[in-house]
Amino acid sequence: MSMQDETIEIGLTVNGRSHRLAVPASATLLDVLHDFLALTGTKKGCDMGSCGACTVLLDGRRVNACLALAAQQEGREILTIEGVAREGALHPLQAAFIARDALQCGYCTPGQIMSALGLIAEGGAQNRAIGEAEIRENMSGNLCRCGAYANIVSAIVDAWSSPA
Amino acid sequence: MDTLMGQEAPRLEASLKVTGAARYPGEMPMDGLLHAALATAPIPHGRVLRIDTAKARALSGVVTILTHENADRLPPTEYLMLLQDPIIHHAGQPVALVVAETAAIARRVAASIDATYEELPAVTSIAQGLADAFAPKSAGRAPTDSRRGDPERALAAADIVIDRHYTTPVNNHNPMELNAAIASWEGEEVTVHSTTQSVFGTRRIVAHCFGLPIDRVRVIARHVGGGFGGKTYGWFPCLMLCVMAARRTGRPVKLELTRPQMFTLVGRRQDSLQHLRLGATRDGRLTAIVHDTIAQTSPFGDYADANGGSARSLYACPNVATTHRLVRVNAPQPKPMRGPGLGTGSFALETAMDELAEALDLDPVELRLRNYADRDQNEGLPWSSNGLRDCYRVAASAFGWEKRPRGIGTMREGHHRIGWGMAASSFPVFRMASQACVAIGRDARVVVRCGTQDIGTGTYTVLAQLAAQTLGVPFAQVAVELGDTLLPEGPYSGAHLATASFTPAVEEAARTLRDRLIERAVADPLSALYGAPADQLTIDDGLIRSVAGNRSEKLADLLARSGDGLEATAGAQPDDKVTHSASGFGAVFAEVRVDPELGEVRVTRLTGAYAAGRVLNPLLAKSQHVGGLVWGIGLALHEATVMDRRLGRIVNDNLADYLIPVHADMPRFDVHLVPEDDPHLASGIKGIGMLSIVGVAAAIANAVYHATGRRIRDLPIRLEHFL
Repeated sequence: MSMQDETIEIGLTVNGRSHRLAVPASATLLDVLHDFLALTGTKKGCDMGSCGACTVLLDGRRVNACLALAAQQEGREILTIEGVAREGALHPLQAAFIARDALQCGYCTPGQIMSALGLIAEGGAQNRAIGEAEIRENMSGNLCRCGAYANIVSAIVDAWSSPA
Repeated sequence: MDTLMGQEAPRLEASLKVTGAARYPGEMPMDGLLHAALATAPIPHGRVLRIDTAKARALSGVVTILTHENADRLPPTEYLMLLQDPIIHHAGQPVALVVAETAAIARRVAASIDATYEELPAVTSIAQGLADAFAPKSAGRAPTDSRRGDPERALAAADIVIDRHYTTPVNNHNPMELNAAIASWEGEEVTVHSTTQSVFGTRRIVAHCFGLPIDRVRVIARHVGGGFGGKTYGWFPCLMLCVMAARRTGRPVKLELTRPQMFTLVGRRQDSLQHLRLGATRDGRLTAIVHDTIAQTSPFGDYADANGGSARSLYACPNVATTHRLVRVNAPQPKPMRGPGLGTGSFALETAMDELAEALDLDPVELRLRNYADRDQNEGLPWSSNGLRDCYRVAASAFGWEKRPRGIGTMREGHHRIGWGMAASSFPVFRMASQACVAIGRDARVVVRCGTQDIGTGTYTVLAQLAAQTLGVPFAQVAVELGDTLLPEGPYSGAHLATASFTPAVEEAARTLRDRLIERAVADPLSALYGAPADQLTIDDGLIRSVAGNRSEKLADLLARSGDGLEATAGAQPDDKVTHSASGFGAVFAEVRVDPELGEVRVTRLTGAYAAGRVLNPLLAKSQHVGGLVWGIGLALHEATVMDRRLGRIVNDNLADYLIPVHADMPRFDVHLVPEDDPHLASGIKGIGMLSIVGVAAAIANAVYHATGRRIRDLPIRLEHFL
């Protein structure tokens, strides 16, 4: 029995930077972000796609990085929490999270923000009137154990009118 | 004390957390890091007969494997240390620790470890072990039993008796961050990055277990991704294996639990059977309360939540008895979990109070007002303060309680039934010793140093606020260092005692520093304040000035001239002599919407009012209260760890099957902070983290009764209760 994986070479773009990596065939995108790129902002909460802490945007769509095999991401563009602020300036959604106190321990926060960015992108400009109930429904894959949900929704509503 | 209601400062470390820059303990970069994973037993009771690791050791990437046959022997502690013998007490107990070059290899090898077991008969429920129930040495931080008056006689003589049984299930803390540690040794010194609610508590146990002088152990936790009781001493046994593996291999080792292991290896809220009896007069005066709890503990450790805490003190009643008993079950060790004891105990008491109000045809708030305790009858002491009546008034008014119809099922919204219920909450104030240092540099920037933790409770922020306010400098000029045993010893983050413990120390240190700065200005011939009487000077917004206002100098100018900064350290500890009983109080009102055909219960509104002493930061305090209310929703409607009674294994040990409240479950929250000046508490602080989960489950269950006429006495409330 071998415990070592076959490695597969892939090219992908993370937060605007291209990488060529030789990754284990079984490695998830979450593992590769942590172990190969030292991007620890994407969090592991369950490793089975049930908490949303590892949410990233893959070609603009939100996915759980713990359920995505890294080897299958050839040529994809990935946005993680580390790539959301531009040139040191917080994204309006990040600023709204702070202003609304939409975080406590902060561990689910990157996933909440990435998920909300994905939601805003999915909704598009024509759907800005999305109600709070619909935001709650669409954010329900992102668990927060501290119970910051209400402030998270307030922050999303605030940021909705000024998506980057 | 300047004010009972502090400033709404934003969370100090928030920008680190919204950008992904905050590093949690398991994420610290480390050269040559090895990864560890646990192999666990599938049986609830027995012994390891054989564990074959030879093949696994030979695999490429495996560095070492620890089992009970080769693990270091640890000295006795009050915890069950792991891999010390072949006995299995519960399913999920570790039998081996695999250390490998990558986490993937460690996990895969751990899953393939081949062990054979001798299985022994197991107790897999409280019911099965009921005949062997025993009295533990204590119930939480309180005595096991209490008794005043003659409750049995009072029950026999009561006009009305409510006699009911209630149950609460096993819950698990499940902070979003998995428990993790990285240990690295250098010679006979070890540094441990651990997800912990107590860096100093961790340092003590590591030093003890590995026979080290205390100063050879450093524990660091700059950010912790939630705790709720799951990152306290329940985590020590696994943590010791990580430290042991790092010593064995001579390289840094990281151990991160899996989510299923978070259900077995860090503690749990025990399940309980509660028998509650109330006796009352026709006009609604309580004449007797008897609250008996039987709860689960493990085969190897005793822990009892103080379920009877509310019954002992919340209401005026001359005849009260409470007991706590435990049953040993082949299941994980219970530990405190957010709002321990009173969270589950108040479900029984406050539901029974609603049943009594119903029987007396009295408004539930009126019944509680009639039984207000003007002193703590259990302790025989006056309250340090008790704002409970204000909380009833403020929350009832905000909720619109006066419009509540007495009739059951009379409020409708389409085919949904609407119900309103309420409950009281309370939680004792605890304190421990704390030190803190406040320093100011030549650039007039201030640093607060305190070896406590911020587990999401706002500790960074309030430490900075306390120093800024007391010293008289802008909040933006204050930095905070915490989560490190190189700092002055700070309190544990739990039982909502941290803020109550460190605030007097920080304020004392900041006051001392302020006095020294003033002394320096007065003694400095180049200062505009040279020779001024010190008692006529104050510091405000970074400026030292005379109270009359005619002379002033910037702190930055004074410090730049004099060559070095200044610092002051202070310590504070609880008074030896207890003259008052201290608790925080609150009232919570719930509105539910029940689908009568499907039995689906939705909480639509939660209104809470809390009198819990001085509030340092209303923005963060409200967030924490809302968090407690969310926990109350989980306790009421969602959370239950389910044991397969035949196999003795947990069947829903993941976040898909163990339900916690999600965005879609959120009601409208309305939290009110009732200002409270408590002259008997140091710095006027009570603590809020535990208080707001208490009472919520009963308020929701009482609202469900009001909506449907179904009285639910078993948590969580589920669809099947309405079939």
